[in-house]
Amino acid sequence: MRALGSTLVDAETGRVIGRALLIPWRGRILVFGVSPSQPVRPIFLPQQRLTYWKQELGFTAHPPPDFPSEHHGDDHPQSSAAG
Amino acid sequence: MSTTATIILSHQRPAEVAEMLGWWASYADLDSILVVHGGRRADFEDLRHPHKAFVDDPRFVTPEHQRNKQSHGPVLRAAARWLASRCFEHVLYAEYDQVPVAPDLISLYERRLDEEGADLLAMHLRRIDATSYPHFLYHVHDRAFMEFWRRVSVREDKGVVLSMLGAGSFWRRRCFDAVARTEESVPAYTELFVPTLAHHLGFRVRGLPDQSRWNTPQGERGGELQTAAASGAWTVHPVKTLWSGSADRRSALRDRLA
Repeated sequence: MRALGSTLVDAETGRVIGRALLIPWRGRILVFGVSPSQPVRPIFLPQQRLTYWKQELGFTAHPPPDFPSEHHGDDHPQSSAAG
Repeated sequence: MSTTATIILSHQRPAEVAEMLGWWASYADLDSILVVHGGRRADFEDLRHPHKAFVDDPRFVTPEHQRNKQSHGPVLRAAARWLASRCFEHVLYAEYDQVPVAPDLISLYERRLDEEGADLLAMHLRRIDATSYPHFLYHVHDRAFMEFWRRVSVREDKGVVLSMLGAGSFWRRRCFDAVARTEESVPAYTELFVPTLAHHLGFRVRGLPDQSRWNTPQGERGGELQTAAASGAWTVHPVKTLWSGSADRRSALRDRLA
């Protein structure tokens, strides 16, 4: 399946993500062959020239999680009331 | 006295658990280890280790872990109950098939936790919301899944979903306790639920990219322990046959790793 597909390149970093087969189907795009270890999200790509008849959809990945701590005490007020 | 408690999850027979603890004794104080047993009740009763807990909650004992959205919540809560009367500052969580190979394993984890300013360190940590990741797509089909995060989150962006390898992790105690005591009112696979909950409770969750290559979801890596240790691995996963295999092989391996 990957042999029939195309090389996916991260639209933001240029990194090769892998190969996948993309098939339009009833207003959706079926994606075959993307590795679970390289999860991607679709994004419309920026265009240098304004066109009304064509837009390009590409793929990118989230950067590694690096969120700051927002925990400022020993006890979290919501942790016992989260259910 | 160690400031790190080690929680080891196993379902194996008493002889195999004893072998596992014999190996772990080179890496952690045995008195700081809790064995949480999720196998047969009779096997649990026969365990000789003084610190043990039994878990048979149907949310944990699932035939297909991913499709049945297996929860490790019952394991975390059993561990939190044991920890409640103890003064540990950190928690090392390992499944039976994650084998330690770095002699200073706990120091390495503690140092990395401080360097990262993290509350939870996990392998194969990634952000998966709005991606092709199969576990995310399966969970987001249930509207209650994202609603749960909107309800509990202290973060500005309540749509972040994280995933990690569940086989091993290292925690600051307050983070472990907070995650353990949060009621899981939505079914979610533990590899999503645990890091995402820690994140939304405000804790800092960081990956261990240098260790992920030696800790993978599938396979049998018992033949790689020495290579891994020589290459800087702290642990290796999965190694499912070590505790039931030859005692001579274990002994020889332990000598070489030491």
